Amino acid sequence: MISHSIWFAGIVLELLLVLRGIQQNLIRRYPIFFSYIGFVFLSDILMFSMRFPPRIYLYLYWLTEFVGLILGCLVVFEFYRVALSLFPGTARMSRALLAVLFVVAAAKTVVRTASVPQWWFNTTPAQVEGVLRVCELLAILSLTVLLLFYSIPIGKNLRGILIGYGLFVSWSVVCLSLVAIGVAKADSLWSYTFAFSYLITLIVWTVHLWSYQPNPVPDRAIPLEQEYQRVAAATQRRLHDARGYLAKAVGS
Amino acid sequence: MISITLAILICCAVMLSLALLATRGSSVQRELAFRTDLPPYDESSGDPSLCPPEFAARIFSPADSTFVAAERSGELVRLFQHERRVVALVWVHQTKTAIHRIMREHTRLTRQSADLNLVTEAKLLSHYVQLLAICDLLILAIQAAGPARLGAVATYAASLSQSFADAQHALAITNAARDLRGASTAH
Repeated sequence: MISHSIWFAGIVLELLLVLRGIQQNLIRRYPIFFSYIGFVFLSDILMFSMRFPPRIYLYLYWLTEFVGLILGCLVVFEFYRVALSLFPGTARMSRALLAVLFVVAAAKTVVRTASVPQWWFNTTPAQVEGVLRVCELLAILSLTVLLLFYSIPIGKNLRGILIGYGLFVSWSVVCLSLVAIGVAKADSLWSYTFAFSYLITLIVWTVHLWSYQPNPVPDRAIPLEQEYQRVAAATQRRLHDARGYLAKAVGS
Repeated sequence: MISITLAILICCAVMLSLALLATRGSSVQRELAFRTDLPPYDESSGDPSLCPPEFAARIFSPADSTFVAAERSGELVRLFQHERRVVALVWVHQTKTAIHRIMREHTRLTRQSADLNLVTEAKLLSHYVQLLAICDLLILAIQAAGPARLGAVATYAASLSQSFADAQHALAITNAARDLRGASTAH
């Protein structure tokens, strides 16, 4: 009963979100995100309204789950594209950071799977989903850190999408980790919290995407890009001075 | 799949950063808040938000502390130590703010640069983190020992390091002289 109520509320919110997206022309600005919402909405309607035999339902569930997951990964790339479109330097940093993260994750996966014979047959769909969700989470974390560190201004819409998606993926990772160690099972309290976290995410998205708000345009009165080396050298000198100042004050 | 502890740690980090992003509020407000009343940095006069190093050095100098101790008034010594500790803490916080300001100015100026250098950025970040760590250590040390004793410890460390450098220099000269003597006797 509770799960059906949460499911139904989720469908209503998804429909509302899609309708507001069309009205406010947000679909054109965030096409992948709204494709994701549209896909989840259609799959929810399909699963909610039709009665499938358990075996077909299982296949259908994992199929929609993985298409949703792939679309979710593309949503993360859309965050990067929209947030950093006017900041090529920060975009370059983010690409390097993401590359490092993915290389580390890939190396760790290769090392772990190489020691397990026939790992592909032993791996459950939940484990594969868990690994992909962790990658998404790391990508969200690195983007958020860069946005904070470089003081990148972002509008209400993008902030809402990022916060909502971050919340949803975080809770997914915790729940999937609990599933992996056998703590969380179907129809347990954890399965309800997962559905509930998605509902909260939808509320966050609906509030933040109710109307269009453009991303602030950065101040153009800053030095030209060819002055980067000069700026970096000046910062280096100033930090060096600060160190000397600290040493001089304390050590004299 | 990762362990539950690691999953919770990553989730906490994500939640914390997203909370910071949410509380940061409107980016326009942030941009406005950044425009301080302080004049821009001038290389000849240094950072305007910092007091002169001679004044700061006085805070950590044991001279005043020795003078007050000579008055043999417990109340006066306590009051002096309290005041000096507060001034020293304010000074460290002020320095830390100046360091934050330097880095914020840097990120604000370079975030749009297309030729941003990753190695340079990593070096600057490491320098910045080191300085913040020094400031935090100073805050802890001031709270634990007081500025006067800290100054004495720093002076002792500096003199020790100087003695070590002098000894190394003397050893290098001795070795060079020995090499020279060896070379001349070989001829």
